[in-house]
Amino acid sequence: MKSFYDAKRRTTMKYLLMCCFDEKLWGELPETQRKNIMDEYQALERDLEKTGHYKSGAKLGPSSSTTTVRFKNGKPAITDGPFAETKEQIGGYHLIECGNLDEAIAIAMRIPTLPAGGSIEVRPVEYLTQV
Amino acid sequence: MKYVCLGYLDEEKWNIMSEKEREALMDECFAYDDILRKEGHFVGGEALQSAKNATTLRWQNGKISTTDGPYTETKEQLGGILILEARDLNHAIQLMSRHPGVKAGPFEIRPTEDLNAMVAESERRRSKT
Repeated sequence: MKSFYDAKRRTTMKYLLMCCFDEKLWGELPETQRKNIMDEYQALERDLEKTGHYKSGAKLGPSSSTTTVRFKNGKPAITDGPFAETKEQIGGYHLIECGNLDEAIAIAMRIPTLPAGGSIEVRPVEYLTQV
Repeated sequence: MKYVCLGYLDEEKWNIMSEKEREALMDECFAYDDILRKEGHFVGGEALQSAKNATTLRWQNGKISTTDGPYTETKEQLGGILILEARDLNHAIQLMSRHPGVKAGPFEIRPTEDLNAMVAESERRRSKT
């Protein structure tokens, strides 16, 4: 397992796929469409588990359930809500492992919220073992 | 209860810090991560490469369009995620307030949704077809 994290011998990369969606729009989708999307998500996760690409993931609670901790005047300040108000909010994420960015994008393209109006941010994970 | 903590970072500010300052802050962060690990609060975590290396996928006019960069331009960008196990939100806030990473940028703490019931229901629906 250790050799995998050795930068020189590493042949795969981890990518974080962040699923962003306009929560208002999501709430307005018909119940059946939302259910279908969630079913497709389950099927995709199963598939990616089988092929060994899936590492972890979670669906997040609504952005209204978010708390933000900041450092202000030398101490932590706590506020309700996300750190930035954006049209789309992060609704969940998937951590995948694959060979390169092209493969990560190909996997991200299969995420079922895309055709419904969502967007996916694909970010490579940094390996900190050298630090 | 699991919480996803999104750690944001002002990349510009980070880049103008001296090597020594960055190292000191990282040492503090890793030391605190170790404490969280020892106490069973650290479920997982990943540091992300610069937001410059992000790719965003969107559905446009019936097909997927791919653009370079994060999905939204904000002063602070997502720098990493930490999956935290805590009793409740107050406990999660308490634990993350002590995390030295908060000095580099805000943490957004979001409860995860328990999908077990939804997954079971989805499996039932799919097994019928």
